[in-house]
Amino acid sequence: MTNVLAINQVGYKHNFKTILHDVDLTLETGKIIGLLGENGAGKTTLMRLITGSAKGSGTIAVCGDTSTAHHKSHVSFTEQLRGFAASTRVDRVADFYRTVYPDFDGARFEEMVTFLQIDTSLKLAALSKGMKEKVIIALTLARQVNLYLLDEPFSGIDSMSRKRIISSILKWKPADATMVISDHYVSEIAPILDEVVIVKDQTVYAHKESDAIREEFGLSIEDYYESLYTETEGGADRD
Amino acid sequence: MKFDDKVPIYYQIKNHLYHEMMTGQLAPGEKLPAVRQLAVDLTVNVNTVQRALGEMITEGIITSQRGKGNFVTTETPRITQLKEHLIMEQLERAYEQLHALNLSDEEIIASLKQYIAQRGQQDD
Repeated sequence: MTNVLAINQVGYKHNFKTILHDVDLTLETGKIIGLLGENGAGKTTLMRLITGSAKGSGTIAVCGDTSTAHHKSHVSFTEQLRGFAASTRVDRVADFYRTVYPDFDGARFEEMVTFLQIDTSLKLAALSKGMKEKVIIALTLARQVNLYLLDEPFSGIDSMSRKRIISSILKWKPADATMVISDHYVSEIAPILDEVVIVKDQTVYAHKESDAIREEFGLSIEDYYESLYTETEGGADRD
Repeated sequence: MKFDDKVPIYYQIKNHLYHEMMTGQLAPGEKLPAVRQLAVDLTVNVNTVQRALGEMITEGIITSQRGKGNFVTTETPRITQLKEHLIMEQLERAYEQLHALNLSDEEIIASLKQYIAQRGQQDD
């Protein structure tokens, strides 16, 4: 099994509005993937479809398993800590994870708590934006799974926190697991990405190896991404 | 490490390690840090480090010892060869750019001499 994810002809509508259509995407094991697209392009929806918390048309196989009910055991995705009361302490959230997920590794969580300098006695309501993202990273990566999804972990946080988060991804992502990181601003994470997937026009518009973009076009990932967005509708092909 | 995002990262990792070898920060026979450690130190992807090291192993600059890790070659002629190659690469780039400004070979040599002389004065 070399593919961790195989999405075939997936579509999703909300209130008769098409959010995603004709999505095909295959991801190999052991990669770090940048999921890029404007705000509202459908990045979070795609993550929800992968975990099975949203239902659309088409098929999604995680580790070869197309039953979405099984996806949660292969995929680690912490969506904005929704579902926890603002007065919940961080260590209580970790206790909850420990109880719900048999693959939650408490020792790994403690290592990341130390590295990211998280005070686990704080209540969720007391966390700064950067600290909240660090808690999400630690909770997500403490699980031992095949696929990790991080939804815009860098939006609105300071550069020191960003560097720490990037280091913890490089330190703790298991070698054979794949991680998908969504962002609408790519330059800060470009050096750590194996591949980029660009969501545009309600579908997966492009999927390329990062170093291939640099080698073939002589472009930075950011310039390549922007060039796709500034193409006129049905515009000229880029060679 | 700061990367130029227009240039393939594996290529920049190779150049970084070449540079450390040229300047003696990585001595012949010295063990390289583990792949994941290098990735964390340079803030790059493990797979990209693997690719860079793989190419350097093919080039004979690094040797891989099963279960022990990667080592800088002890064959000093290979390192001398690499150094010559890196010098040529830099000269080629500079020469082509000066040539594109319509400078003759003599003018290029004269400009370079003048530049080095001026630089020496500034350093004092």
